[in-house]
Amino acid sequence: MIRLERLSKVFGKRPALHELSLEIPQGQIFGLLGHNGAGKSTTFGMILGQVHPTTGGAFIRGVSVQEHRLRALQGVGAIFETPAFYDYLSGWTNLKIFTSYTRKLAEAEMRETVRFVGLEKRINDPVRVYSHGMRQRLALAQALLPRPELVLLDEPAEGLDPEGIHEMRHLILRLNREHGMTVILSSHLLAEVEQLCDRIAVLNQGRMIFEGKWTDLKADTMRYQIDAEPWEQAAGVIGGRPGCGLAAEKVLTLAAGQDIADVVAALVGAGVKVRAVAPVRQTLEEVYLELVGTPRAAGPG
Amino acid sequence: MRLFFTQLKFELLKMFSRKRTYIGFASFLIMEGVILFMCNLPGPQLRFRRMIEQNGYGFDEYFSGYTLAMLMVLWTRILGYLYLALVAGDLVAKEVEEGTMRMLLCRPITRVRVAVLKYLACVIYTYALIGFIAGSALIAGLAYRGFGGLFIMSPGEGVFSLIAREKALGMYVSSIPYLALSMVTISSLGFLFSCCNMKPAAASVVTLSIIFLDFIFSGIPYFESLKGFFIATHLSTWVHLFETYPPWWRMMEDYTYLIGLDVTCLIVGTAIFLQRDLK
Repeated sequence: MIRLERLSKVFGKRPALHELSLEIPQGQIFGLLGHNGAGKSTTFGMILGQVHPTTGGAFIRGVSVQEHRLRALQGVGAIFETPAFYDYLSGWTNLKIFTSYTRKLAEAEMRETVRFVGLEKRINDPVRVYSHGMRQRLALAQALLPRPELVLLDEPAEGLDPEGIHEMRHLILRLNREHGMTVILSSHLLAEVEQLCDRIAVLNQGRMIFEGKWTDLKADTMRYQIDAEPWEQAAGVIGGRPGCGLAAEKVLTLAAGQDIADVVAALVGAGVKVRAVAPVRQTLEEVYLELVGTPRAAGPG
Repeated sequence: MRLFFTQLKFELLKMFSRKRTYIGFASFLIMEGVILFMCNLPGPQLRFRRMIEQNGYGFDEYFSGYTLAMLMVLWTRILGYLYLALVAGDLVAKEVEEGTMRMLLCRPITRVRVAVLKYLACVIYTYALIGFIAGSALIAGLAYRGFGGLFIMSPGEGVFSLIAREKALGMYVSSIPYLALSMVTISSLGFLFSCCNMKPAAASVVTLSIIFLDFIFSGIPYFESLKGFFIATHLSTWVHLFETYPPWWRMMEDYTYLIGLDVTCLIVGTAIFLQRDLK
């Protein structure tokens, strides 16, 4: 569906993105993660032909965005972090304005989309009186008109309350599952990405440092909470085993291919009393922070 | 093509739905009211009486609604420059600043089309504004002084004309599209700077600075030989319509210069807009 080929962008002397190559198949929900300024919005801008790449190119359904923008963007919808509208006009007029740049749409199709995003009661109000959540819904409605095959969502849940985030998540899942849309999503809400995305790419200072299923990352370093006595002796045994390590006090990391049962057997064999061993479920947030090298904040206690 | 006109309609809707548009229009009405009031004070009226009567014409006939309307149009032009620079300076820059341009450019539409749509909407807006100024000035003038001949004096262009009552309305109405065509140059300059990477206010200020500097330099006697290069020289050419024998060849030259400048602004502005990264 989307292919990015060695996409690079330099703003003045500041490199924003370095040789990003990606392929996103149809029907996936793909997450683009990274700190502020990592290059996510630049990537979105280049996919939409709003930012000119310094080198490389973006292709949608095999059509170059840089060379055939009109053809490439047929069937693409997008929303941005802070969706902007003509505040002095109604939501309905805004939708009509934006969709007129694609093609003339039947009113029934527009009404159906407005209903889908749950804005039917307020669609005739001026946008200036909309809450942030309503603006996000309106942004989603305009992105879905006319029905696209690919939706780019730049921070769609930014600034929403927990109910809003929940609703947005369900809307995205429905778009993907019921309408088969390919979704590319950038978000700082890693719990959302974890629940939504099939695959992710992590950008760090303009470079892609990971691409794939985030669970693949997790599998490389399994963590176990271990309660053993005497701890000093246990730590010695763990430290002496290849592929074994300590991430924190009583938290054991195990490389792929290593079995926790072997570690427990070694501990017992060394005379250590093992009282409890439990796998620590790693969240995407933990994996992400580890990946970008940001030290984790100390937990309570 | 039908879609193009729908898009143009929406561009106009955006411009005419802003409260600012009507505040601007109201400010022109206020200025016209002030001019009307001041022209009818004893001092200025005596001056008009002398000018008309010294040329052997009747003051009551030529100090008419048409004359007052023309005075209002001539003097509100300055406010028109300011207002059009503000509106045109906003055209692209405001949408880029507010983020609506990014939303719009997610659509399969070329930037050239967006720029041309915005420019055309601004040209229509310029004509609508000048039409409004001329129309409201005519209504106010006629309501105050009634029908009569048209007296027009524009020293800068060397125009001093007294037009008979039966021709006055026709001359007044036919001059307005020419004035609007001149004013399009201000809008074009505003559009050009609006396409550059700057804030809307900066685009308006740069446009106004250029216009006012041009006016100042064109008025300096030392630069007389360079007069043909200044915009101001060509902007006022529409006033020559009121001469007994309008210098058509000179007017054509002036409008060729202005239209050439308009087209240049459109092309250069669009080219700049095409090159920009919108993020």
